[in-house]
Amino acid sequence: MLIKILGSGCAKCNRLEQLTREAVGELGIDANFEHVKDMEAIMAYPVMTTPALVIDEVVKCSGRIPSKDEIAGWLRG
Amino acid sequence: MVAEAVKENFVELVLSALQSGLASLASYLAAHVLLCLVPAFFIAGALSALVPQQSIIRFLGPDAPKWVSYPAAAGAGSLLAVCSCTIQPLFAGIYKKGAGLGPAITFLFFAPAANILALSYTGVALGAEFAIARIVLALSFGIGIGMIMAMLFRRSEAVRQAEGATFSAGDGISRRTLLFLAALVALLIAGTLKVDFLKAELVSGQLPWPGAVAVQAVLERWVPVNEALGAEGLSLQGAVLIVLLGLIGAAAWRGLGQVDNGFNRQTWLALALTAATLVFAALGVRVTESGLFLALTGRSLAVAALCLLLVPLARRFDAWDVQQWLWETWRFVKMIFPLLIVGVFLVGVVRAFIEPEWIQAVAGANTLLANLAGVVFGVFMYFPTLVEVPIAKMFLSLGMHPGPLIAYLMADPELSLQSILITAAIIGKLKAWTYVGLVALFSTLAGLAYGAWVDGTPLLMLAAAVFGFVGLLVAGLNLIERTRQARA
Repeated sequence: MLIKILGSGCAKCNRLEQLTREAVGELGIDANFEHVKDMEAIMAYPVMTTPALVIDEVVKCSGRIPSKDEIAGWLRG
Repeated sequence: MVAEAVKENFVELVLSALQSGLASLASYLAAHVLLCLVPAFFIAGALSALVPQQSIIRFLGPDAPKWVSYPAAAGAGSLLAVCSCTIQPLFAGIYKKGAGLGPAITFLFFAPAANILALSYTGVALGAEFAIARIVLALSFGIGIGMIMAMLFRRSEAVRQAEGATFSAGDGISRRTLLFLAALVALLIAGTLKVDFLKAELVSGQLPWPGAVAVQAVLERWVPVNEALGAEGLSLQGAVLIVLLGLIGAAAWRGLGQVDNGFNRQTWLALALTAATLVFAALGVRVTESGLFLALTGRSLAVAALCLLLVPLARRFDAWDVQQWLWETWRFVKMIFPLLIVGVFLVGVVRAFIEPEWIQAVAGANTLLANLAGVVFGVFMYFPTLVEVPIAKMFLSLGMHPGPLIAYLMADPELSLQSILITAAIIGKLKAWTYVGLVALFSTLAGLAYGAWVDGTPLLMLAAAVFGFVGLLVAGLNLIERTRQARA
């Protein structure tokens, strides 16, 4: 599973990455993380706001921090 | 002997500068910052955590008509963009995928001047008329500059990749969020508005405490009142407020900083302390010869009622939403407050060295040169968010004319090195520097117009003059563009 965090490295983006890592750890999923900071690369996805969570190239949410349960739901699905 | 005297003078100078810094810090913490910034931080947190960004972004798509996209860009600026990590992707998104260069520029221009923190702080520290002037001028000139930029570069505009899908989906702002925000804004207004029924003393009484006079005397020795230097001294109430602020900070460190792992005991402590501080700040407290005179004002009642009202309103949200709200609020406090404190202290230190005559000579009257000086100072000095306000207050107390002051307040947050670099990276150097030039021009114009209004020029004549000038500018630019096209 490839998980991308889109964001300029702000506090919210780091928090999202931390939450996602915790969710991944609790579920015992094997996943690769990538923190995309380049504006051009971020704009290639259909997002206008950061932080955004991309799982296997599908944007799951943007502009807010989801709860850990919500993230776990996406990871399982 | 001479060396000795010089050394003594130097020590005295440093001491008086430090004292001036501390006095400025004390009077800011006790009087100005507190009542307006505490609710303002909570509002900023709520905007950031509870308002879905899509609710405004959906008006910024590539097909949006101009009369929708420009106001929506301004709205996005004041509602969504309280920190730079939102400004950058939104700016790039509006420019590259959505409504285009014009609204993107409007957004960029409007965001730093008109967010809730900057506006409430300006209103309380400098006066409501400065806050209103700031929002009106930033709105009209932000839209104006956006339109001029869109027109100047309309040919290179066509190559943007329009992508409607990003903008289509999205819900509006829910009613419970609107209600919650309205209550928070009411709290902000009740705490700061200077109207009679809020100031009216409902119940008052004496608290016998013979030591009060002595305590006040000690405070006055620590932080002397100095009209000439603009130091307002420190009241007993102010000293208690500073202590309360410190306590809130200590409780919030874990209580709000780690609230996303669940509410803990310190969360409730921090929130209760915040409410208590707001109510206490609204009380009338005076030191009399026999003790303390306490008065319950309309303001204290209104603030207490609104704090209580917030509890059921907050309960209508999911726990996670409330946690996000508190976490975002604390994040803003941690990001902005330390810089603000250092800024206010340094402003106080610098204040001791500046002679009022210098400021009055450069910017004491509303002239073109004075306004240009305000703009140039704003462009070359980079201050962190909100620090421009205490600096402006210092200038005002030193005798700067309100016109050049507005010119400075417009130019300083709009044109920081950071914002110039962001724009240059996203829209290219030529467009970025054109933008910088336009902002400098329009800030000068804003200062001149506001200064003339303060000096008594009728509003209608001013509006006609400003519109005439902008019309002339647009016509001129159009003419240049047309001759260039005809030649090519």
